[in-house]
Amino acid sequence: MKALDIKDLEKRYPNGVEALRGVSVEIEEGEFFGLLGPNGAGKSTLIHCTTGLAQPTGGSIEVFGNDAIDHYAEARQAVGLAPQEPNIDWFLTVEETLDYHAGYFGMPRRERRQRSKELLETFSLTEKRDERTRTLSGGMKRRLILARAMMHRPRLLILDEPTAGVDVELRLELWHYVQKINQEGTTILLTTHYLEEAEQLCDRIAFIAEGQIVAEGTSPELAERFDVANLEDAYLALVGRGELSRSHIETAPDAETEVEA
Amino acid sequence: MNTAQIRLATLWRREVNRFMKIKKQTLGAPLLETFLYITIFGAALGSRIKHLHGIDYVLFVIPGLIMMAWATNAFSNNSSSILQQKFQGAIQDQLSSPASPAELLLAFSLGGFMRGLIVAMLTFVVSVVLVGLPVDHALVLIPSLFLVGFFFSQLGVLIGVRAEQFDDVAFAQTFVLQPLIFLGGVFYSASLLPQPWETLTRFDPIFYMINLVRYGFVGFTEVNIWLSLLALTGATAALFLVNLRLFSRGYRLRA
Repeated sequence: MKALDIKDLEKRYPNGVEALRGVSVEIEEGEFFGLLGPNGAGKSTLIHCTTGLAQPTGGSIEVFGNDAIDHYAEARQAVGLAPQEPNIDWFLTVEETLDYHAGYFGMPRRERRQRSKELLETFSLTEKRDERTRTLSGGMKRRLILARAMMHRPRLLILDEPTAGVDVELRLELWHYVQKINQEGTTILLTTHYLEEAEQLCDRIAFIAEGQIVAEGTSPELAERFDVANLEDAYLALVGRGELSRSHIETAPDAETEVEA
Repeated sequence: MNTAQIRLATLWRREVNRFMKIKKQTLGAPLLETFLYITIFGAALGSRIKHLHGIDYVLFVIPGLIMMAWATNAFSNNSSSILQQKFQGAIQDQLSSPASPAELLLAFSLGGFMRGLIVAMLTFVVSVVLVGLPVDHALVLIPSLFLVGFFFSQLGVLIGVRAEQFDDVAFAQTFVLQPLIFLGGVFYSASLLPQPWETLTRFDPIFYMINLVRYGFVGFTEVNIWLSLLALTGATAALFLVNLRLFSRGYRLRA
């Protein structure tokens, strides 16, 4: 079954900006899928259209067979979103944030308590459970957003640049955690600017640029497609910055020697 | 409870929790304001005016103050709550949930409704104890107050959804709502005004709301009760439908 089936998705904002221009993506149930692209390529808009935060102007989105517009309740019930910006409620405590989120998804109180206890522990937030969210550090906010996205046990977890600006420890913790839940059956859609993250975690990757999917496949397939050595070079080729490839940096000492000679 | 009921209850609980966490500002300040009005107009002016249309001046004024407390609190709660959540981005958590537009609208509306209800009830209880405020027509009073509360809740939602900055909410409250309330006859009787002010007052919708509530408490009115009640019901329903359409379209809520 397809976890996410996007066909010819278009999004034109009222100011005339065409953020998505006929995007089609299929993600199989249980897959770990990466979506890479430069800033402004349309990654977040695609995610917002999928989760109901933006309204598509064309095309269709199905989440586990449910149309994201006509059957939005069933579609959204299946999705957990950890957005790029920490969009947490300043008035709530850490525990209330999790509890309310699960309530919005119709989870009964006893189950909410059990689940929030579990996730507070998993994301090392137990000691902070009664603190107001606005007092949390950036890293703690990021943990809370991830825990919140997981609260209602979504079948499709969307992580929009989850490791941007976090320390190494949290990044690795997150990698372990998402790999674990992916192995347990949760489908994951990840957007990131860290290419090694995508290479390490994702089964398949799509490149998006100027509102269109320009390439899709496994990491070696994408490298082959762009006739380069690895995913990073494929990405650099996509954005037209092949001269930034690390392979050029590695040859620098030889170049210096030549100059000295 | 089924999942829809849990959703609605949680959305509503969030709204109530918000104003209870800052109750000095959201409940304490409006209560103090109302009691200052009662003191000034009841004790100070009341000692000189004594009676208006055969009713103790303080009793003439208190129904309007109770209505005003419910109206302004319902309005400001909802407009602020929605704008703050838009500003923080926290509203995305609710918008990306399976909650329907009607559930979201009802929850936002009932938050302000509850805050207004609490302030109005406390004012009522204190007024009964201190000045013996009567309830002459409970069957008019209860639906009138509930409709007023719900109307201003809807108005708060509308302004909160439309607003793009805090200035927009402040403008609506200070330059539109407050003048309409004060000029609607909270502190005086329209029949005592010279022309054209008396006629102009009758174009202020809040004049009819104040008279409904005043009639419910002390049995005095300057308007047709049943027509006013009907008009208020119609206006509240119309505003609810406008808001429901905005929520369904995602107007200024979804990109």
